[in-house]
Amino acid sequence: MAPVPVRLTINGQAHDVVVEPRRTLLEVLRTDLGLTGTKENCLEAECGVCTVLLDDLAVNACIVLAVQCRGRAVVTIEGLAAGDDLHPLQRAFIDHGAVQCGYCIPGMILAAKAYLDESVEPDEAGVRQALAGNLCRCTGYQKIVEAVLSAARARPAGAAAGPP
Amino acid sequence: MSFDYHEPTSVREAVELATRFGGDGRFLAGGTDLLIQMRRGQLAPRHVLSLHRVPGLDAIEADHAITLGALVTHRRLERVPQFRGPLQALIEGAEVVGGHQIRNVATVGGNIVNASPAADVVPVLLTLDAEVICLGPDGERSWPLEAFASAPGVTARQPHDLVTRVRFPRPDPHSATAFLKAGRRRAMEISLVCVAVRLTLDADRERCLDARIALGAVAPTTLRAHAAERSLQGRPVTDEALHGAGRVAAGECRPITDVRASARYRALLAATLVERALARCVTRIRQAA
Amino acid sequence: MSGATRVVGRSLPRMDAPGKVTGTAIYAADFALPGMLHGKVLRSREPHARLLRIDVSRAAGLPGVRAVITAADVADVRYGGSVKDEEVFARERIRFAGQPLAAVAATSPEAAAAALAAIEIVVEPLPAILDVAAALAPGAPLVHEGWADYVALPILHRERNVCNRARIVVGDVERGFVESDRVFEHRFTTRSVHQGYTEPRAAVAHWDSAGHVSVWSNTQLPFEIQGTLSEILQVPSSGVRVIVPGVGGGFGGKLRVGVEHFAALLARKTGRAVKVMTTSEEELTAAYARQPAIVELRTGVTRDGRILAREGRLWFDTGAFAGSGPGVASVATLMLAGPYRIPNLLLEGYAVYTNKTNFGSFRAPSGPQANFAVESQTDIIADALGLDPLEFRLRNIVREGEEGPTGQVLTAVGLEECLRKAAAAIGWAERRPAPGRGKGIACGWWTTTGGSSGVYVKINPDGTVALNTGAAEIGTAALTGAAQVLAEDLGVELADIHVVSADTLSTPFDFGAQGSRTAFAVGNACRAAAADLTRQVLTLAARHLGVEESALQMQGGVVTAGEGRRATLAELARLSQASGGGLIAHGTFVAPPTPYDTKRVEGHVYPAFHSPSFHAHAVDLSVDAVTGEVSVHRYVVAQDVGFAMNPTYIEGQIEGGVAQGLGQALSEEILYEDGRVLNANLTDYKMPTAVDVPRVESILVQHPSLVGPFGAKGVGEPPNIEPPAAVANAVASATGVRITDLPITAEKIALARPERPA
Repeated sequence: MAPVPVRLTINGQAHDVVVEPRRTLLEVLRTDLGLTGTKENCLEAECGVCTVLLDDLAVNACIVLAVQCRGRAVVTIEGLAAGDDLHPLQRAFIDHGAVQCGYCIPGMILAAKAYLDESVEPDEAGVRQALAGNLCRCTGYQKIVEAVLSAARARPAGAAAGPP
Repeated sequence: MSFDYHEPTSVREAVELATRFGGDGRFLAGGTDLLIQMRRGQLAPRHVLSLHRVPGLDAIEADHAITLGALVTHRRLERVPQFRGPLQALIEGAEVVGGHQIRNVATVGGNIVNASPAADVVPVLLTLDAEVICLGPDGERSWPLEAFASAPGVTARQPHDLVTRVRFPRPDPHSATAFLKAGRRRAMEISLVCVAVRLTLDADRERCLDARIALGAVAPTTLRAHAAERSLQGRPVTDEALHGAGRVAAGECRPITDVRASARYRALLAATLVERALARCVTRIRQAA
Repeated sequence: MSGATRVVGRSLPRMDAPGKVTGTAIYAADFALPGMLHGKVLRSREPHARLLRIDVSRAAGLPGVRAVITAADVADVRYGGSVKDEEVFARERIRFAGQPLAAVAATSPEAAAAALAAIEIVVEPLPAILDVAAALAPGAPLVHEGWADYVALPILHRERNVCNRARIVVGDVERGFVESDRVFEHRFTTRSVHQGYTEPRAAVAHWDSAGHVSVWSNTQLPFEIQGTLSEILQVPSSGVRVIVPGVGGGFGGKLRVGVEHFAALLARKTGRAVKVMTTSEEELTAAYARQPAIVELRTGVTRDGRILAREGRLWFDTGAFAGSGPGVASVATLMLAGPYRIPNLLLEGYAVYTNKTNFGSFRAPSGPQANFAVESQTDIIADALGLDPLEFRLRNIVREGEEGPTGQVLTAVGLEECLRKAAAAIGWAERRPAPGRGKGIACGWWTTTGGSSGVYVKINPDGTVALNTGAAEIGTAALTGAAQVLAEDLGVELADIHVVSADTLSTPFDFGAQGSRTAFAVGNACRAAAADLTRQVLTLAARHLGVEESALQMQGGVVTAGEGRRATLAELARLSQASGGGLIAHGTFVAPPTPYDTKRVEGHVYPAFHSPSFHAHAVDLSVDAVTGEVSVHRYVVAQDVGFAMNPTYIEGQIEGGVAQGLGQALSEEILYEDGRVLNANLTDYKMPTAVDVPRVESILVQHPSLVGPFGAKGVGEPPNIEPPAAVANAVASATGVRITDLPITAEKIALARPERPA
């Protein structure tokens, strides 16, 4: 119950925090580290707005304890762009009109990234399946799917690393 | 929620801690059930024993039998190439659980221990005659999966028992499995009814040698439809026989009416999904020829 | 109306996209201040009860708790838009399960939750009025015993548990029915559905030393919240500042006060900033979901398919407080007429109190419920008369220059084009392509809500343009559209416009992001400001360049006078700053009132549709022969948008509105038992996922509005209206089963069919 020290690796950078074991990764990201790009909503792994990558796998940060993340690599939306250069998925979401209110978008982009990184032949059915855990109420998913497929088509051949 | 957190680094240490804390402790695997129940106030363990540093619990082995480590995630289960033949239903059951985020962390062992009557992979394992193997302070114990859960959330394990693996025999020749699920939407869904079926036909692929039918969300625990299975044994797998088996299976169910569906609709789904899953098995067996 | 345009009308990327895709855009749910406390609200579990005692002493003493407030800490003030029947906390009477009883501010959310659990409540349960039928039964207990003494809009017709009855009367319906060859009578019912925005309602409040409060909130209506808080806090509205950092979806659910008042009251009590956010459970039990409805429709037709008379009643369960109910009941009457020419009408909309949460405004309020009834019955009638449903509609839809139900003259009526295009796109000639497969159509109309908008526009010293608007961007890209209008008129690029928005202290008044009005009204305000600003620029340039104004051209950020004489906007702006206070204009817009026949309406808060839009939906689906599960193959929308300011984002509204509408049509409902919500979580409140939603084909039809910027009409709400009816009609076509209760679940279809022979 007493707070414990935890070294978190977020977007390649080490963060040393002292947190009670019950604190979720989502809470620590948003409240302790000020990384509010990862969003909060249902807190029950039903909506996906809190999606981050944990060792390259998409997970709901609201049900991951921060203490479970020692020695593991966390990637949040803040880690996607390289300086001023947007990640191709971010670029595609802008270009295809896939962003409306934007609240689901960080989680959506990370879920899409995880899918594209491991899929040699992404297709529409696969994209929709990959995003099934990310609710969007604004877009009806259509332009999001188009953006992900466009980013897939634009990447060099052999870019997918395959499943982690 | 407030608790002490422990990270055992071996199976033995995990069992020692569980024995020490007894009912005050819970194992944490993927967290997709435990952490949500804790947040809702349904569970409040004083000690949480995370298993993610315990080695040896996530192996998938195939020799004379097939063994799934308790920490095998649904994601890994979906991607086992060897399961694409007669064990296809394992993939079909795993891939409809939640969304990717859930499947990436949710484990087979956690799913079995959670003992939800609506679980998706459990019915498939039931049709495979799976057994659950636990390690306790006094050594290993195993149960047939069918005997493991007795009520929603209640299993035969004691707090000091760590589920280490699930094991089932290799499928017989001329066998196939199938899994079907009904829900109000196509993903992120707790089944209204789900059905898993394993069918073994004779060498001519006409007559049923053996059948296993398991249903979820139609009884307090996942249900084996024994009478429906017997109704097929030794008989030609005609449309009429499959339809009849579906009706018998529906009769064995004890569905309830709840926010998700009425009992009457669940019975209709049970009959239909059993029939369709059986038909799919027949097709799979004959196409594999 | 418009020739080729340069900026407006193009599918340009929205201005706020980079912040959203990088996670740097701040929403109210992200907003924090140093030393901030966390607030939580204790809510009733009883749907109807006397509140006998509330004891917060134990809670107030818990670690980390800095304040606990109840009705005793709040001025005894009732507020509300049409009827002032609402209170912050229940004082003596609890009227719905979920009604706030107390609020806590503590140093962590966990400490606040522990404090809630320690508050002791003593109640005496009362019989709950669970639905409209119970509320209207003779001798029914009153949800508000003091209803007659409440301050309310004088126009409302209120009586006991009815907080408004709106009515339209045209001609003589009884005579119309006598003249009809056939009269059809049907009843339809719908359930409550939630907007489903992914960002919870959130507010952070902070008081300064002068006794003024600032509230950061994801409200759609900052100026309305300013007014409501002023009433509740008993502070002049100039002492209340509402700022909207960013909104993660609204759809009408974030119009009225949500948690802002709790945050402000707790912040005043503690002297510290306080943040309050709703949980999913609070959203599904105590938010502004769509009213459940009962519709009874009686329509008389000639045998050759002309509609002669319609009598329609729509009862909305408006919950424990009137809220939006009276207005929604009014709009409903216009929707019950539909976009049809009907000479005899008696249409009534009732808003009825029950012991449930006070439902509110959800994207096209009353639209889906009324349209579900009207368009379902339209198909039933067509089939009964042996007429093609498309032909039957074409025979009866209103035309250019004809009257709407309240006598308004309809212009820019693009409905026939929408119907024909949608039908062609879905392949209407083959209505039943295969067993278990069918196509359905539905059409409707909607308004572009009025209200005023003001903007300040100034030219920055680097030649870019600042647009200062009181409107909140809720996700529709309306402010991008308005900026495109501004860029068009000023001869600059969209990238040159910088937007500041939604701060009641420093931005001009805006009626708010509601009723599909934002791009329309802010766009027109921008046109007014651009015209004034252009005059200022040309006047200054003429003086500066020593030429006549008539010799000047302004384009591409430069003012040119011929013979190489030119001045950039940047130069002129700097010149003006140095000598004249800067180039800045104030533009305003309010939609002119739409004339209608006042004798036709009673109790009516919304008697005409401004710059109406028209739309038709068509769907092609299959139904599983046994399970009843619906698979949508194709979905087409043809929508008359007047002028497509930005086609990509209009398509986005259509695609999203249809997805949300299909949720209401097929899978979503808030389930009640004994006045309590059974499925107050996202596991069992089933919104469509990416694998549930079909591709939607959008056909943008353009019959320009006489009023909208470049002819644009409101576009955001309409796509939500027709999906339930389109689906109901297609299911009927595919299976012969007519479902008259939303949602149209697989279970209802399966159990409505005759049993298969053994």
